[in-house]
Amino acid sequence: MTTMYVIMILALVGAAGMVAAFFWVVRSGQLDDLDTPPRRMLLDEARPRREPRA
Amino acid sequence: MTTALADVGAVPAARDGALAATATACAHCGLPAAAATDDGPAFCCTGCAVVYRAIRGAGLDDYYAVRERAEPARTTERGYAELDDDAFARVHTKDRPDGTRTVSLYLEELRCAGCVWLIEATPRCLDGVLDARVDIGRGRCDVVYDATRTPLSTIAQHLDRLGHPVHPYRGAERDVARRKDDRIALFRLGVAGAAFMNLMLMAVALYAGLFATMSTADRQLFRWASMLVAIPAIGYAAMPIFRTAIGALRSKAAHVDLPLAIGIVVGLVWGAANVVRDRGEIYFDSLAMLTFLLLVSRYIVSRSHRRAAAAAELLWSLTPSRATRIAADGTWTEVPMEAIRLGDRLAVRAGEAFPVDGVIVAGSSAIDAALLTGEARPVAIGVDAAVHAGTTNLTAPVELVATAIGESTRVGALVRRVEELSLRKAPIERLVDRVAGKFVLVVLTAAIVTVLAWGGATGVEHAMSLLIVTCPCALALATPLAVTVALGRAGKAGVLIKGADALERLAHPGRMVLDKTGTLTVGKPAVVTWVGPTEVRAWVAAIERGSAHPVARALTELGEPGPIATEVVEVRGRGVRGRVDGHALTIGAPSWLAEELDLTPLADELAAITGRGETPIAIAVDGVATAAVGIADPLRPGATEALARLRALGWRPEILSGDHPAAVAAIAAQCGGLPARGGQSPEDKLAYVTAARAAGPVAMVGDGVNDAAALAASTCGIAVAGAAEVAIEAADVFVRTPSIGAIADTAAGAQATMATIRRNLKVSLAYNLIGGTLTVAGLIHPLIGAVMMPLSSLSVLTSSLRSRAFREVP
Repeated sequence: MTTMYVIMILALVGAAGMVAAFFWVVRSGQLDDLDTPPRRMLLDEARPRREPRA
Repeated sequence: MTTALADVGAVPAARDGALAATATACAHCGLPAAAATDDGPAFCCTGCAVVYRAIRGAGLDDYYAVRERAEPARTTERGYAELDDDAFARVHTKDRPDGTRTVSLYLEELRCAGCVWLIEATPRCLDGVLDARVDIGRGRCDVVYDATRTPLSTIAQHLDRLGHPVHPYRGAERDVARRKDDRIALFRLGVAGAAFMNLMLMAVALYAGLFATMSTADRQLFRWASMLVAIPAIGYAAMPIFRTAIGALRSKAAHVDLPLAIGIVVGLVWGAANVVRDRGEIYFDSLAMLTFLLLVSRYIVSRSHRRAAAAAELLWSLTPSRATRIAADGTWTEVPMEAIRLGDRLAVRAGEAFPVDGVIVAGSSAIDAALLTGEARPVAIGVDAAVHAGTTNLTAPVELVATAIGESTRVGALVRRVEELSLRKAPIERLVDRVAGKFVLVVLTAAIVTVLAWGGATGVEHAMSLLIVTCPCALALATPLAVTVALGRAGKAGVLIKGADALERLAHPGRMVLDKTGTLTVGKPAVVTWVGPTEVRAWVAAIERGSAHPVARALTELGEPGPIATEVVEVRGRGVRGRVDGHALTIGAPSWLAEELDLTPLADELAAITGRGETPIAIAVDGVATAAVGIADPLRPGATEALARLRALGWRPEILSGDHPAAVAAIAAQCGGLPARGGQSPEDKLAYVTAARAAGPVAMVGDGVNDAAALAASTCGIAVAGAAEVAIEAADVFVRTPSIGAIADTAAGAQATMATIRRNLKVSLAYNLIGGTLTVAGLIHPLIGAVMMPLSSLSVLTSSLRSRAFREVP
């Protein structure tokens, strides 16, 4: 029976952790521009290597 | 080109095989181009040529593999010297600790993945550029650079040559404020989502317990845990809904958020009471789902509104931030825009943009008014000419007196107009609010009646269930969901629609005023009539090959490059002479040829050509009139069918054009007798559209900003591909595919979307009616109530996704 209490607390702590992670993601600006990254992703292979310059 | 000609039924002579083979594709954009003079690639315009060479030169050839669509390029080839000015650096650039600088630039023509790739490769091409990040939605590019190694002007020149003219980004402060709002919306969204998922899991356990044995302690645990999650999470996430509801109560305005807030609050309070009492139903899972769905749909809608508002600010970026004032003693001083007063005398150097609307008082030059007119050709100006803020002075310095500044300039008026448009609520949204207002009254009355009718605790219980079950989630979702699905699908098909109200206005058919150039026709002169011996065609093409004149470009399409022309002499504005294969040819206006030879053998043909509204060209071989050519702007392929489809949707298309009335009449005749008016000035068009609006909805389709005013004045302005940036902003709808067919598809999609919205509203009201009646009658099991609520939202979602709207857009 007490297992249920433990699991419930673990589950809620997990959920709170996820929410905290989401807050961090939003704050870090990763979700500010939702239009460009999906396009940029397509181009990874064509992206020119940055060559060292003299 | 060939298909375009095939559409023109009246000119069988033009369908000669030789024509088909000569169309060359532009190496950059793939449009028909004149054959190259040397062995190099061919181009349709100088813009494409410059951009193509810049891309090849920088080793960025992969661009052609990654871009999503090909469009003719635009470049200004300006020097951008003003960007290196200290004053500019102070306002627009930020120093970083390591000695480098960041600057936000607004780039024109940012459209697809190819553009992103091309620009973000800048650090590889330019020494001293450390990073370039593109935000395609805002047209913004953040560049990190080392000013000691590369001046900003060089970077700007590079981007310009790649086909993205550069302007300082003005909306940075507002972007910061908006980003804050957007992030808060995302926080709430995340909290609601997490609460919804977890509450659903607990609810499943509880519902399972209904059918199996579940200890009281377990049930208590799940109910208390649900409550502890639900109240703070929903309370936080639904805050904006509560706020709007309170605002609506204070101002006594109907708003859909009011019944929503009542449902949510009653649900939370009554659910909590039931937890404490340990009896009755808790509604936390349904409430969390409702909140989550609402927030998702609102977030998406606000993003599409944002885009329209951002577009307005981009316009500001196009006008300069400072100006050169001439004091009474003749000295020139640089002053910021804010210091300019009406009547100030200003100097504008060649290459600079005009900072204000004004009248030229000294000097003469040519200006590029593409921003306002969409017309790429330079316009000559002299003393007393009116110029507008945002247009560019091209050739020589001029002095002007300011007649309008800031928001009162033509550009300023346009920006204001676009901002107003983006804030306007669609009539269907107002309808939903009105329905919601009545809804609140009905539900509250029903709740009171229920309490009285049943009496006591049972009455309260049923009344509470009623308030929660009838929470009009589906009603609130009906419009945003349908609109979001439609806008998303339309966007994928290359149609940009600015919000629900644009969609709605496009769904009410009325008159559709078409600007002939660029919408119905190809927009480039082409040979549509040829009367004469076939062997002459190649000779004509050979002679015209060297000329840049539009008519000459059309004539080069007549034959394969083969014979070599010699002794070619161009007579300005009249025609050209030359020798090919031992024959002397004279090609030009009939009036010019008639001065020296007898044109009577061709008189009938030339008269027929002129009568059809085409430009006649006569050709003489060895002094004998031999061939007659008719030049016109041919119809786009499929234009006739598209017009028929528009008529079937209830639209009444007509032509309103600035072109010569005879040419307009000819196009109208080919389209099957459209009502047509030619020779219209921008003011005429505006007056015509304004007058027509009095009689009903008027959609205006155009591409230049000789049309912009009319676009803004119409009920629904539609800009088509290749339109000036300003025309795109002024319009409600931007169709990227340059064909009238796409416009017909868009109009059909808008009507289908409105049908979906109406269906959604009916479905949601039906659910509430049935659910409410059953609850009041006490016939509903709490579990069924809990299932019905999400079910109504889900059926609205399904109905929106299944909508036929914009499915068939190419």
